[in-house]
Amino acid sequence: MITIAIGKGRMQESALALLARAGICLNEGVNSRRLALMDETRQYRFIFVKPADVPVYVEHGIADCGIVGRDVLLESEADLLLPLDLGISRCRIVVAAVDPQAMTNVQGMIRVATKYAQIARAHFGARGIPVEIIQLSGSVELAPALGLADMIVDLVETGVTLRENGLTVVEEIAESTGRLVVNRASYQLKSDEVSKLIRALEDLV
Amino acid sequence: MRYYIGAEARLRRTVEDVAMSVFQAWNYEEVITPSVDYYDLFEQGMGQREAQRGFRFTDNDGRLLALRPDVTSSVARMAATLLSERPRPLRFCYAAPVFRQQTQSHAEWRRENTQLGCELIGTGGKPANLEVLRLAAEILSRLNLQSRYCITINNVEIFNGVAASLSLEEQAREQLRRLIDTRETAELQRFLKNYDKPEARAFAQPAQLTGKRNVIQAARSAITNARSLVALDSLEELWTEIESRGFENSFEIDLGDVSSLNYYTGLSLKIFVHGAGASVGRGGRYDGLTGSFGRAEPAVGFVLNLDALTEVLGRSMGQER
Repeated sequence: MITIAIGKGRMQESALALLARAGICLNEGVNSRRLALMDETRQYRFIFVKPADVPVYVEHGIADCGIVGRDVLLESEADLLLPLDLGISRCRIVVAAVDPQAMTNVQGMIRVATKYAQIARAHFGARGIPVEIIQLSGSVELAPALGLADMIVDLVETGVTLRENGLTVVEEIAESTGRLVVNRASYQLKSDEVSKLIRALEDLV
Repeated sequence: MRYYIGAEARLRRTVEDVAMSVFQAWNYEEVITPSVDYYDLFEQGMGQREAQRGFRFTDNDGRLLALRPDVTSSVARMAATLLSERPRPLRFCYAAPVFRQQTQSHAEWRRENTQLGCELIGTGGKPANLEVLRLAAEILSRLNLQSRYCITINNVEIFNGVAASLSLEEQAREQLRRLIDTRETAELQRFLKNYDKPEARAFAQPAQLTGKRNVIQAARSAITNARSLVALDSLEELWTEIESRGFENSFEIDLGDVSSLNYYTGLSLKIFVHGAGASVGRGGRYDGLTGSFGRAEPAVGFVLNLDALTEVLGRSMGQER
């Protein structure tokens, strides 16, 4: 048996749909409030955790595999194997601002509000632009309008939320899709089961 | 920052005693090296990137010191200087704490870890490689982990040969290394598409990098450069020895183990145990190391993480009770 950690929320539905197409079906409704479920064949156990906790569970080997967005992986810097890009929940990590020229127009230190402090620091750091990172945990689009920050680094799916808050994309940092991640020890110790899962999903992506 | 009390401390001591008694039965002499030494030693021994993970501080006269981040550097210098006249091969073992600031894996990282390790210096080739693999296997089975461990072996020259034949520059080489290390299949194939040499196919299928003898056959179908082929031959010879001793169920070949390319010069190995989320040991051949202390000679060794082993064994004993 192998344990798969799945991020609750945005990714959960598309991840379970993909697994179902690969013939891995839960034997209880997803609406169940239980946080650990077995599949019908009892070969897989699913645990549902906050997306940011998926890399933690997998890196420590509590879960053998996980399904999680690349945005979360970039932010966590966990040491994991990333054998498959599942192509689900496709979106972009962008820098957005009210003023499209903000990068050159802002006087002094640029203030960046974000949920993704690591990604933002690495992105601006790599180009030698000094920034002050303001860590938020949600509704990041509000920050420029209220004067908390000059720019934001955030995940964008359609861009509607950005537009409604008067923001435009200044630059794209990376594309993010759902990934299959695997614990390094499980990859060796449970190689048959893990590669069976990879093969089952590989054909669908 | 971990305390061991009573039964746990006894278990940890037992694990250490088992490993040290196996080392000593194979004629490995115990060495005790300084816990504090000049930082330069570790930078020469481990390379700057690894050595910087050590805890560093200065002496009254301003000289930079470090709490030892590894033991191998000290043993290599000792062999090249204090013991340069002693007949080869030298066999040494140790049980000693090492101190590091954050490593790559959060699951592996503790500030303080005790390493159970051995170094075989002054003899190269298959017999020496096989000796340390058999030692590792013997310790693990004496700890009642017979069917619960897996040792992966690789020869880093396979990657180095391919990287050289694709004429990769430093940055591209590091990118290829990272993509293989994390098995990012799609990105890896996109990267390799830029190179139309047959060599580029050697690492294109991460699933084919791990397994038994079939891995070597698959690699042969793509690799043509002499450097990689020599390495493949020696890996295959080692595998034949492993098979002839009936160890093949506990060993795997993993051509994708490219995590410490700058350190190892041939064989590299990693040790995994069911119940531990990260590797519990690693090792390999580092023929370049003693040269940086003035006497180049072949050397091979490995370390086991005493704290990780104790945790796995403690947990499985708890379940039996």
